[in-house]
Amino acid sequence: MPKTITEHNLRLLIDSLLKDRFRVVGPRLAGAMALYEPLAKGEELVLDQLPRRSAKEVFFPVCENILSFERTEAGLQVTDVDLSAMSETVLVGVRPCDAAAVPVLDEVFSWDYKDEFFLERRRKTTIIGMACTKSDDACFCSAVGLSPGETKGSDLFLTPLLGGGYGCQVLTDKGQQLLARYPKLFVDTVDARLAPLAGGTGDRLDLKRIKAWLDDNFESPLWNDIAERCAGCGACAFLCPACHCFDINDEGTTELGHRRKHWDACGFGKFTNHASGHNPRDLQNKRYRNRIMHKFKYYDDKFGQTLCTGCGRCIRHCPVGIDIAAILREIESRSQ
Amino acid sequence: MHHSKKHAFEPKIVAFVCTWCTYAGADLAGTSRLQYPANVRVLKFPCTGRIDPVFILRAFQKGADGVLVSGCHPGDCHYMAGNLHARRRFAAFRTLIEFVGVDLDRLEFSWVSAAEGGKWVEVVTELTNRILTMGPLEEFKALEAEECWSGKLDTPELQEAYNNI
Amino acid sequence: MNKSAQKLDVTPLVDESYCAAATQAIRCEATRLLTEGTVAAVIGYQAGRRKGTAMPTIVSSPEKAAELIFSSACVNNLALYLTKAKKEVRGKGRLAIVAKGCDMRALAGLIAESQVKRDELVIIGVACAGVYASGADRAAPLTNATIARKCRECVVHLPEGADLLAGSLPQQPMLTPLESQELARLEALTPAGRWAFWKEHFSRCVRCMACRQVCPFCYCEQCLCDRNRPQALESTPRPAGNMAWHIVRAMHLAGRCAGCAECERVCPMDIPLNLLNRKMAKELKELYGYEAGLQPQEKGPLAEYKDTDDQSFIK
Ligand code: SF4
Ligand code: SF4
Ligand code: SF4
Ligand code: SF4
Ligand code: SF4
Repeated sequence: MPKTITEHNLRLLIDSLLKDRFRVVGPRLAGAMALYEPLAKGEELVLDQLPRRSAKEVFFPVCENILSFERTEAGLQVTDVDLSAMSETVLVGVRPCDAAAVPVLDEVFSWDYKDEFFLERRRKTTIIGMACTKSDDACFCSAVGLSPGETKGSDLFLTPLLGGGYGCQVLTDKGQQLLARYPKLFVDTVDARLAPLAGGTGDRLDLKRIKAWLDDNFESPLWNDIAERCAGCGACAFLCPACHCFDINDEGTTELGHRRKHWDACGFGKFTNHASGHNPRDLQNKRYRNRIMHKFKYYDDKFGQTLCTGCGRCIRHCPVGIDIAAILREIESRSQ
Repeated sequence: MHHSKKHAFEPKIVAFVCTWCTYAGADLAGTSRLQYPANVRVLKFPCTGRIDPVFILRAFQKGADGVLVSGCHPGDCHYMAGNLHARRRFAAFRTLIEFVGVDLDRLEFSWVSAAEGGKWVEVVTELTNRILTMGPLEEFKALEAEECWSGKLDTPELQEAYNNI
Repeated sequence: MNKSAQKLDVTPLVDESYCAAATQAIRCEATRLLTEGTVAAVIGYQAGRRKGTAMPTIVSSPEKAAELIFSSACVNNLALYLTKAKKEVRGKGRLAIVAKGCDMRALAGLIAESQVKRDELVIIGVACAGVYASGADRAAPLTNATIARKCRECVVHLPEGADLLAGSLPQQPMLTPLESQELARLEALTPAGRWAFWKEHFSRCVRCMACRQVCPFCYCEQCLCDRNRPQALESTPRPAGNMAWHIVRAMHLAGRCAGCAECERVCPMDIPLNLLNRKMAKELKELYGYEAGLQPQEKGPLAEYKDTDDQSFIK
């Protein structure tokens, strides 16, 4: 019989995890929006809103120290970050489009260089995904081959039941361990009929055909048509669960300071600015082209995946209304 | 170790001054052997017009408990009107940082001419005493040490949450 | 915004015919300008894919002029596209631009700052009854509940100084000035209370720079806030650097900001940036009797001085 958990018990699970000294991160209210943030109690978990920022920051923080330096009498002392101090974390209430992005990020952070900051957080985190019963006209997960019930990336996956509560699907050992740790909170149910999942999340796009068009159209008037209006900000990249560019900055003084790694975005004019002053992506449409190329061509070339899970965040929050779903349809239609 | 806090507190005060008037005034105070608190670190600029409000902000961020900006009296500017432009800019900047929540008692402006060694001593002494009673400026220091949650390894808030469960 | 405050009236503020009339006038003028070759391109709005959305568009052929629209979803301040941050648009030649009242104020500012030449620009003003708040339900019409905060206290519904006026203004009900109320509430707090308010907001800032990128007045080719050698202020998205960034942003816009509230609208972290702009505008008006963008003036209040300026705060 399938395991289920009531909403009450889900909140109790969070409390129990906190008591057992896990860090629990989940959607939590921040003003009128929700953000993935550490929860202080189960009650805080927000179940009916897609968080404004994606869950990537659990593994890839907005900004983190990667080393500290101080000039002492003995010379310049460099202190590494003690990765063992990172907390064991349970990430709960993660939308399928956010969870599915995590394995995509794994590829790039463990490729030629192993990013221990990302990987240590990844090792120490268990992901509880949750199916969506609500979507809006920016969502297009189904168009990129996922769905409101997609389990990719989750260790444990919850699907809302018709009669309330959630059906639990164990997907990995981590998920199994979590379930086994709190057996009383998960019960067997007879009525495990699933609630209808969100609809209208987009007809399947032919990503192969889109890629084929991109392979041939690095130079195309389309780029200017769609991206001349682009303001060149970081909103799309920063809200995106799959964008992963970062910059590294030393801050402080020559006596005492930190080296910090923080989010960066290919939309910024300075992103490709060379020290010489030359900028290969000198106009905004070239920067936007990179966004599409990276997501649907380069990443595919390298890792066989695309860098978009259809969460719709970049569509909802682009200051100038650039709509990546509409652009993908346009490219698909051109790639006969 | 445990002196009374007040006693242990030595205010850090940064003074941004123009080279033509206030710097000369402070110099006069020195050569006239006038006594004033040693808490002020003087930074010399060609003109108050060159003192970007971001310098004041930076001083607060990097640990100043109080900031003084001082230059030539209206009419005496070496560059005609640098101080008059600065006057407007500082009026605006004051309002701004007050709106953000900085106590304006920590920020002082003055006109001190090359002949006013006594006024320099007065301004500096008064500001120092005021900051002494106000205590250290904690807000910016606290901010400096803060990280966004995802950049923290483990957090005091988290420990507190654990303990409250 | 605040649901608890009052039950907001949901009577639509505008009807179909209002938008249709403005749209028609814009299309007509754009077609004429492009056909006669008076301008190389018209900067306006086109409908977005999603219901109740619109986006900026740059139309260079008369056939495309039929795509231009005006509606309550036309939130953007298009003056952005005339700045040197957008060389590719400026490079097209003579331009026409669609401008609401608040956008017109930005244009007046850009003209005064010698960024745009008035005689090289055709301004299609629109009678504007208001636009959607960010985050408003776009399936709903424009109502007391969905209108942007800036529009509740707008004094420039009819843009002054445009070359023509598209559409006509419907009857305007009085709306509660929520933004002024919020400003007054903050002003009444203690400094510590205000610090706590801004600290919470600024700490969420991710430095996506959307606020800067959409601002018509943030056209510097090298933003002070991007410099790292020397670093004028921390460029990392941490509470310390964020606080500094927002103080610098507000300071650099003081006396120039047109009050279009684009910076606030686009902030993905819902930071009420226009409160800072409003505060500065209010103080500069009190101190120097200056209001940005109402009359084209030679110089902004922080680029000039008077012998009689207040100096009561200087010892
Ligand atoms: S590209 Fe846009 S829709 Fe796709 S995952 Fe990123 S934010 Fe979501
Ligand atoms: S596409 Fe939109 S969100 Fe992305 S950089 Fe351009 S303006 Fe900003
Ligand atoms: S502020 Fe006035 S002119 Fe601007 S969008 Fe609102 S109503 Fe229209
Ligand atoms: S738009 Fe908002 S989040 Fe982005 S930099 Fe500006 S204030 Fe920060
Ligand atoms: S600061 Fe904000 S409100 Fe002012 S002009 Fe710029 S975008 Fe508009």
